[in-house]
Amino acid sequence: MSKQPFLSGKKGVLGVILLIIFLSALPIVLEAEESYFIYFLYISFIYITVAQGWNLVAGYAGQVSLGQHAFFGIGAYVTAMSWDAGLTGYLDPVAMFSSGAIAALLAVIIGLPLLGKLRDDYFALGTLGFAEILRVVFIQGKDITGGPIGIMLPSGRYAGMTPYYYISLGIAVLTLVCIWFLIRSRFGLGFVAIREDEQAAEANGIPLLRSKILAFSIGAFFTGLCGSLTAYYSFHIHPGGVFTLTWGLLPLLMTILGGIGTFWGPVIGAVLLAGVFELANMWMPELHTLISGLFIVLVTMFMPNGVVSLVKGGDGPPFLYRIGPFRSLFGQSNTGRVSDGAYENGAENTIQR
Amino acid sequence: MVTISSLDVFIQVIINGTLYGCIYGLAAIGLSLIFGSMQIIFIAQGAMMVLASYFTYWFFTLTSIDPLLCFILLLPVFYALGAIIYRVCFKRVARAGKNPTLLLAFGIMVLFERAMALLWSPDTRSVTTDYTTMSLSLGNINISYIRLLVFVIGIAATIIVFLFLKKTMWGKAVRGSSEDPHAAALLGISPVKVATLTFAIGISLAGVAGVAVAMSYPFDPYFGFIFSLKALVAVAIGGMGSVGGAFIGGVLLGLFESLGSYLISSGWADAISYAIFLIVLIFFPEGLFGRSAKKV
Repeated sequence: MSKQPFLSGKKGVLGVILLIIFLSALPIVLEAEESYFIYFLYISFIYITVAQGWNLVAGYAGQVSLGQHAFFGIGAYVTAMSWDAGLTGYLDPVAMFSSGAIAALLAVIIGLPLLGKLRDDYFALGTLGFAEILRVVFIQGKDITGGPIGIMLPSGRYAGMTPYYYISLGIAVLTLVCIWFLIRSRFGLGFVAIREDEQAAEANGIPLLRSKILAFSIGAFFTGLCGSLTAYYSFHIHPGGVFTLTWGLLPLLMTILGGIGTFWGPVIGAVLLAGVFELANMWMPELHTLISGLFIVLVTMFMPNGVVSLVKGGDGPPFLYRIGPFRSLFGQSNTGRVSDGAYENGAENTIQR
Repeated sequence: MVTISSLDVFIQVIINGTLYGCIYGLAAIGLSLIFGSMQIIFIAQGAMMVLASYFTYWFFTLTSIDPLLCFILLLPVFYALGAIIYRVCFKRVARAGKNPTLLLAFGIMVLFERAMALLWSPDTRSVTTDYTTMSLSLGNINISYIRLLVFVIGIAATIIVFLFLKKTMWGKAVRGSSEDPHAAALLGISPVKVATLTFAIGISLAGVAGVAVAMSYPFDPYFGFIFSLKALVAVAIGGMGSVGGAFIGGVLLGLFESLGSYLISSGWADAISYAIFLIVLIFFPEGLFGRSAKKV
């Protein structure tokens, strides 16, 4: 099947560039400081980044991690602690980069035993256990981490919503571009091979542990970046806020909802879920989680392969595929096809268990 | 030197931990059954437990039905609930693999938690009967009757599920279907029927665990999530798909926790139990009683 991948088509590239220009111009058109929409986009960009980071590990490399909140928290704490100690400043790129880097380093350190020894669900629970241990360590960290109260940062430095918007947009674009090229490189193809069949991948000369750790640490890096930005945004970092399992589960929900193992799935899932959360919160704060839960249940029941399957199609001709603009926007990529096949095969294996 | 009195405390801690672990174990058996036969990580197990706790609370405060009776009264209710949840929600997603089912379970959990918070308010509730505080005294060691009862029920449930799987035709169908669904279907075992049955039994066990929780601890609508996580950890310690292993995993987890909080500090209890869990996994990557997952 010779479907042209999304970015190789001129229309697709042009569309994405136009979208980025449009998003960059938005704070100028809208009142950035007051507009709720700008905040919504800011939070969506963060969700997109975290979800895409998880998608790389779980969707492409097949290693489902339930411990992403460890990296998010570490990113936030590195930023907060280095600012608190006077090493870095407000919205300091060095601090943000090192937050991501330390999260990635942590991923390598715990990835060595966990990815080396554990498989599938055991790995997922292992990462969960690790992240929960880290949370307790930060709660019990006394003066170094500020204990359960955490670290207060000088909120007088708040420079308005606009810089946050642009930084989050930048991080999201950086993540998407990096992962876009990564999954087309030999590493990315290695990830997919590992997900499909570890033994076959190993037999074909793919270094299993190294590839898995690479995916895990890159995902951790972007998650750490988001944690860092969140530290700058909230000015108050405490273990209950940044090490909460919510940050471990959100990427999972968004990615699966959008379509796991696809490039656009996490993006769609993140924006969609952020929208549902924010709208439900605005209109019916009482029923907020009820609506979100119902939404998740219904979407999963009727689109088990994610919202992306609407466009990419399951058995019959794709639902939106005949509509021109959608075709160029969501043109089926090679990796996308592989994952489709993979999930169909997987479904064959687990059919009606 | 361990003095006599601290030895007493130590034994007391071990007993309390074991009995507390039984509730984890009860929740874990259900999870293990559901996971073992359908590969569904039913993270809403804790929410189901708390639902049973609220039913118990309702029965007790409105009609003053003894919580002990609820063990029997709620079984058919939760059996039906499990069957309905499977038929309505999971049946159509079962083909799509493990990830969507996890998402679905999560959605169900959020839905139930919030519905319970609306229905019964988010306040903490507890069921206090005449015999709540009564306990068996052996020297300086006290064992609450309720916890003892939970222990007995946990072991009984494990044995019943075990016997069901090994001795009955339906149990054989469940095992066969989880081993090879295609071959089982060829032999005339309806995958949907087997899955519904397994799911219903799993949820019934959550109901039993929920009644046990209501009798022993104060609870609120969001109390169950921790139980889901701990039960998952217990399943992993015991080995995915092993029913007896799941119960033992739960008991061990409860034991680690109370020992950790006694020997070091209660703030570290969670970290200690997870650390031991990780150590167990490093040495037994398939859990203590896991059958080899590598099927050809």
